[in-house]
Amino acid sequence: MATQTADMLEATGSSEGSFLLSSVQAMANWSRKNSVWPLPLGLSCCGIEFMATAMSRYDMARFGMEVARFSPRQADLLLVAGTLTYKMAHVMTRLYDQMAEPKWVIAMGACASSGGMFRSYPVVQGIDEFVPVDFYIPGCPPRPDAVLTCLIELQKKIDKDRSYRLSFSAEKVEGQTPLVEQTQLPGRGEGPAVAMATAGEHFGEDGPQKRAFRGIKPEEVR
Amino acid sequence: MDTLKTSSMRYSDEVPEGVAPEIVSALAGFAVQWSGGAGAPHPHQDRYPGVLVKREDWLPAISALRDGAGLIWLVDHTAVDYPARRPARFTVVCILMNMATQARLIVKSRVAEGESIASLTGLWHAANWAERETFDMFGIAFEGHPDLTRIFMPEDYDGFPMRRDFPLQGHLRFQD
Ligand code: SF4
Repeated sequence: MATQTADMLEATGSSEGSFLLSSVQAMANWSRKNSVWPLPLGLSCCGIEFMATAMSRYDMARFGMEVARFSPRQADLLLVAGTLTYKMAHVMTRLYDQMAEPKWVIAMGACASSGGMFRSYPVVQGIDEFVPVDFYIPGCPPRPDAVLTCLIELQKKIDKDRSYRLSFSAEKVEGQTPLVEQTQLPGRGEGPAVAMATAGEHFGEDGPQKRAFRGIKPEEVR
Repeated sequence: MDTLKTSSMRYSDEVPEGVAPEIVSALAGFAVQWSGGAGAPHPHQDRYPGVLVKREDWLPAISALRDGAGLIWLVDHTAVDYPARRPARFTVVCILMNMATQARLIVKSRVAEGESIASLTGLWHAANWAERETFDMFGIAFEGHPDLTRIFMPEDYDGFPMRRDFPLQGHLRFQD
């Protein structure tokens, strides 16, 4: 397990009065990944399955995730479980904007990932039309095991986060391009996230989707 | 009566059997067409009697039915879109019920695109949200409604999804 966590846990000296050598990055990743506090946005049936995941049989607490926070300011993970309607999308974007960095998003279930079976006028065809998504969980609803697997994958992703290392090491030298711009970081810490795109931009201007849902233009539609 | 004439056989001047006499007398002053009823010959016709009124008679006729014929309960209030029908493509429908006799009456009227029809909120508060829904889904305006705004769809939603020419599927496009 050659992760940063393993590096960090490599103790020096005897067990008495020992100390740890580590990097800020590894320390932060270790603490972040073991205390991912979800903000469950339970919009429909998938929300029930999330509750099952959190309850004692599947016991999300084993991964440090039992503290479901219903205030976005105290949450790290936006877990969208259910069918997102366009009317609710504004609420979800606002919740996402209020969460402090670093933050992650999981689209749980077919509805949150792609609109699911509701390919109709009120339902957002995937929450990634509005917020950036880290993980999609397939299923209708996903089994709790799938949710747990996803959360473990999320922990692995958090463990690989390199935002500290890059922001501390990439000191700008006059006339020299830094290796990685702060804004290009693959992980988190890239500043305030903006809602990605409107659905229309997302699906291109010339596709068959273009005129769909644009409004009442009967002569165009017929 | 011209606007009420229809090519189908669904409507007639004859009062269907089973319609209470007080309903007929309440509507005496209005030009109406009847349909449905207990002995409805057409397989698609309703067991409940229906009456088609002119758009401008909508509020007075329903008011007369409520006060004169005991149809005191507004069971439902919605609309239907017949996109090919011209000039009035929409049928506004409300179902009234007499709580004492359990008699029901379906009252309809036709509205063209861009036309408005009187609001029933003065007769029943229950009509408020029903009319907002009809406005939201069909784009039919109700005159005299206290707050005619969208009720289900977001305020910036573009289009009226229950119209038959609204796309069945696809991605919404917000206009900003
Ligand atoms: S994916 Fe299935 S279970 Fe989940 S919210 Fe949608 S319909 Fe419900």
